Amino acid sequence: MNILVCAKRVPMTGGTIVLTEDEQAIQTRHLGFTISPHEECGVEEAVRLIEANGGESVVLALGPSEAEEQLRDAMALGIDRAILLETADEFDGQATAAAIVAAIEAERASGVEFDLIFFGNESADSGNYQVGIRVAHALGRPCVTGVKGITVQDGRARCEQETASGRDVYDVPLPAVVTVKEGLNLPRYPSVPGRLRAKRKPLATSAPSGRAAGVEKLRLRLPPGQGKQAEILGHGPEAAPAVVEVLRRAGLVA
Amino acid sequence: MALAVAGGIFARRARLLIRIMRLGKPAPRFDDVPQRVRQEAVVAIGQRKLLQRLGPGVMHALIFWGFIVLFPTIIMAMIGAVDRDATLPWLGHQGWFAFLVDLFALLVLLSVCSAFFIRKVQRPARFEGSHMGEADFILAMIAGIVTTLLLWHATRIALGLNEWPASWSPVANALSNLFGGGDGTKLLERVFVWAHVLLILSFLAYLPYSKHLHIITAVVNVFFGRTRARGRLEPLVFDDPEVPEDEIRLGSGTLTDMTWKQMVDTATCTECGRCQDVCPAYATGKELSPKLLIMGLRDHLLDQGPKLLSGEAGADPQPLVPNAVTDDVVWDCVTCGACVHECPVSIEHIDHIVDLRRHLVMAEARFPAEAEPMLRDVERSSNPWGKAQQERGDWTQGLGVKVLEPGDPAPHVLYWVGCAASFDERARQTAVSTAKLLQAAGVDFAILGPRESCTGDPARRMGNEYVFQAFAEQNVETLNESGVTKIVASCPHCFNTLANEYPDFGGRYEVMHHTELLAELVRDGRIEPKTGGAQITYHDSCYLARHNDVMADPRQLVEAVGTPVEMERSGKRTFCCGAGGAHMWMEERGSAINEERVRQADETGAETLAVACPFCTVMLDDGVRTSGSKLRVADVATLLAESIDGPPG
Amino acid sequence: MTLVYVEHQDGRPDDASLQAIALAREIAGDAPLHALLAGPEAEDAAAGLGAHGVATAHIADHEVLATHAPVALARCIGELIERLSPSAVAAAGSERGNEVMAHAAALGDLPLAANCIAAEAGDPMGVTRIRWGGSLLEDARLHGPVKLLTVAPHTVEAAEVGGGPTAVERFTPSLGDADQVVRVVETVQQSSEGGVNLADARFVVSCGRGAGSPEGFAPAEELAALLGGAVGCSRAVTIAGWRPHTDQVGQTGTKIAPEVYLACGISGATQHMAGCKGAKRIIAVNVDPEAPIIANADYAVIGDLHEVIPAITAELRKAGAG
Repeated sequence: MNILVCAKRVPMTGGTIVLTEDEQAIQTRHLGFTISPHEECGVEEAVRLIEANGGESVVLALGPSEAEEQLRDAMALGIDRAILLETADEFDGQATAAAIVAAIEAERASGVEFDLIFFGNESADSGNYQVGIRVAHALGRPCVTGVKGITVQDGRARCEQETASGRDVYDVPLPAVVTVKEGLNLPRYPSVPGRLRAKRKPLATSAPSGRAAGVEKLRLRLPPGQGKQAEILGHGPEAAPAVVEVLRRAGLVA
Repeated sequence: MALAVAGGIFARRARLLIRIMRLGKPAPRFDDVPQRVRQEAVVAIGQRKLLQRLGPGVMHALIFWGFIVLFPTIIMAMIGAVDRDATLPWLGHQGWFAFLVDLFALLVLLSVCSAFFIRKVQRPARFEGSHMGEADFILAMIAGIVTTLLLWHATRIALGLNEWPASWSPVANALSNLFGGGDGTKLLERVFVWAHVLLILSFLAYLPYSKHLHIITAVVNVFFGRTRARGRLEPLVFDDPEVPEDEIRLGSGTLTDMTWKQMVDTATCTECGRCQDVCPAYATGKELSPKLLIMGLRDHLLDQGPKLLSGEAGADPQPLVPNAVTDDVVWDCVTCGACVHECPVSIEHIDHIVDLRRHLVMAEARFPAEAEPMLRDVERSSNPWGKAQQERGDWTQGLGVKVLEPGDPAPHVLYWVGCAASFDERARQTAVSTAKLLQAAGVDFAILGPRESCTGDPARRMGNEYVFQAFAEQNVETLNESGVTKIVASCPHCFNTLANEYPDFGGRYEVMHHTELLAELVRDGRIEPKTGGAQITYHDSCYLARHNDVMADPRQLVEAVGTPVEMERSGKRTFCCGAGGAHMWMEERGSAINEERVRQADETGAETLAVACPFCTVMLDDGVRTSGSKLRVADVATLLAESIDGPPG
Repeated sequence: MTLVYVEHQDGRPDDASLQAIALAREIAGDAPLHALLAGPEAEDAAAGLGAHGVATAHIADHEVLATHAPVALARCIGELIERLSPSAVAAAGSERGNEVMAHAAALGDLPLAANCIAAEAGDPMGVTRIRWGGSLLEDARLHGPVKLLTVAPHTVEAAEVGGGPTAVERFTPSLGDADQVVRVVETVQQSSEGGVNLADARFVVSCGRGAGSPEGFAPAEELAALLGGAVGCSRAVTIAGWRPHTDQVGQTGTKIAPEVYLACGISGATQHMAGCKGAKRIIAVNVDPEAPIIANADYAVIGDLHEVIPAITAELRKAGAG
């Protein structure tokens, strides 16, 4: 089978977020980067499915040239090859989906049809919740979101979502699009042979064509109320009565 | 003919062992010959490490030196067994040699008796797990050999065959009174010489099948022991163009991954247990015993080696973990080096552990799950705390510490703060104190701030050599570009890596630990502490004292601010705080190493437990809290800073 | 006019949907506000909407809507867009709200701004939305014939405006086969093993790596049980394998909204705070007075969680709780 995983390069913010001077982006000079957490689980799931069923897996990212780091990380876990849609600009949900659809159609033109396409449910940074769904509609495929469990058998995918009382189950035919959530699996730690092989695996770069923004970013800003200081209830165990008082005022204790 | 038989048995076994060891991977131990010769002289001939424990050390030294002195008598006995009146040319006729022989024979016999006394009466715990029966047999053989030698000489004296005054061989002379001069004695003389020779020959045949082989392997092992800094691990090479990718050595997974030096290590172990005795993991009930580790590897070598040579093992040789060594044992180690310090035959236990870890982590991704966040964080966030690097300089708020930017002129000394002091609230105090002291002394220094990444020590000690090397290269690039030549570090692990390990990656700097620099400033009068008189006991950090010989300077600082009182295990005998070997991030089975150390500190009656390492600070402070001790744990820099401007508000 | 897709449970509209209605009213201004509901007991839920200013509730009838069927729901929205020509369509920024609206946006190639906290009528339409789970805000403008947005839960106050009763119009959407493929076909009940669900708990106590081991969570579990609450953990704890992912509080874990959140030994990284922004009161327990969480909490105890949590439990028992 053929599986595509779409992944995004996101910074790992610490306790506070610092913006660039022009308020258009996060200051990332001293930040590390990673594949967005939901998508890491998508990568792991793709690797497992290909290990079990044979075939090929592909990872795709839309982002700056530095996103190669994340693509190599995905290949170190076992993904076979990578596609980088290279752009320094931030694409909104519609533009991202359109670029990814174009890449998928280019793959189709060269004879590769994906049975499953994994997306993260939402990316850690922009959290738009829509790219996977838009891609699915453009391709005319069913899309199940928020997936925390998936089994593929006989050309169908059984997908599970977590709810308050248990799990909701969907059953869709392949080819399908699935957006996954962290908790789907525990991604493996890459081995050094895997990392070395990843350095040599194919990575194809192309420039995505953008489109006029449907959601046009004007500026970023920090929410108000940052830098408030908590009221210190006390030090060590002696603060316990003060804590209980807060619990009482909250109606948790009679 | 007996010689041929015994020699043949010996040779056959020796050949097998050599063939097995030739399966081992190369080890870069052919450099530094003068140093190696020195090592041989001091450690092997001089028995220096054995003498670290005086009683058993003297006992063994006498047996060993006795063996050297008595060696010619083996040949003399073989000659004498064939021809009663023949002996070694020249030496066989020297009276002074006869005296030496007599003396050393007695000393050996007495030493063997004391060895039996130690083993049977004192019964030290370090022998737990050792093969006592085998040792008894060996000691008995030695006793037998020496006794038959004395008896042979005694009968010769009784027969008047001695060429020098009998009084020159007092012991043999005394024994000779047991024998008359007649035919019975003539017969006994033959009996004793043949018994002596046969005992020696059977011992020779037995030698390579027992731990007594150490008499040969130790000589080799000591010669090829480490000559460079103790705290430096030997790097792996990932990008050798001559080595195909799937043959890159990633540590030790199976027997043939071990280096030949490691194989010799395993064949050298005498099961003395001194390493086990000082191991903090073993002392707190964990499965790890350095002695049993080496013995386990040796048994695996003897079991699997022949199978590999004959092809019986097939394409997939048995993995070392868990067959020779269990996973728990591999991860219990805190890399404190106490075992290596004790070992009289230069076995390098840490190198074994790290190579086992390297394979588990890098090839199999198999390691305690609780260490996974640290490994991921150190790689992605450049520090094992997973905090954002941009927050790394936050501790300097209000202090006016200069942060070195690219293009700035290099400061006189770069203060390498380390991840712990940057991000951990307890360790942070050390950085603040050190910065204030350096400022007070007018030292021109700066920090790298967010451009300072983890040195990679926790990743390396866990076995992730690949990630470590990425950090080493990155940090060396940053340091070299900045023009820094002198570095002071407050963390002994950073200090060790910067000083001893970064040179392998192109980084050569003059690196000091903060206690060294502060002590120098105190000596020069640039810092003037006032003594407080409080009783302070100083805990030596393993990476400072044992791996790097830094012991005097921190003590000088302690003396300057209080009344020092030493723990029993101090200096190079220090007892680990428990954080080494990446254990800062791993769970501990059994009782806690840090609590044990706090207990040892409490025994001194001191009020303050001084440390010089952020890991020790955190571990011992945790130990104080969980054990209810009243000790105050503080870094030497903090105590020094307080003595200048009073305790913090 | 403005249309709102309203989610409901047991015959009552969801709080998050009522909050979305409040924001939609700001966009609508004096223009009418319509709602779309579907599924069982939709009519009962619709009855409660008048007080929030909804003039007309459109109830979609179709057998596929008996369970959650996001594409079918999106088609309903599409039909209403065609019929009513709203300037904007809003919904709650819940999991399902975001999903359904994304489908609707995809079907019509319309812009969608997820998790908004503010919006003003206009063309282009100005919104403020959250990024990084709430740690960052984005001011943006939506361009398109119809603007879609979801409203971040707990950021806008629902308000009853004393409107008259809602008119109810039922309709049956025309759905193709493809629209009915994605729907819940089975529900698996998971016994809660006597524990309280993390997302709904009124009290949550979490520990980070400072707990030291899986056993280190025992005092927290005892405290949670005493107050009828739930135990959560940080992402590092999940990666370390000490607790399952279902216990993880954070941007990619469970988002909680308790009355009180006791965060112990947790430094307060933005991804964790994104998971607990909905808490009414946050009490941080930490040995580090400089930890970022202290700046994001309402109260703090500077101390070791191994000492503080048992002390709280003891104090509660003294007070006769549990």
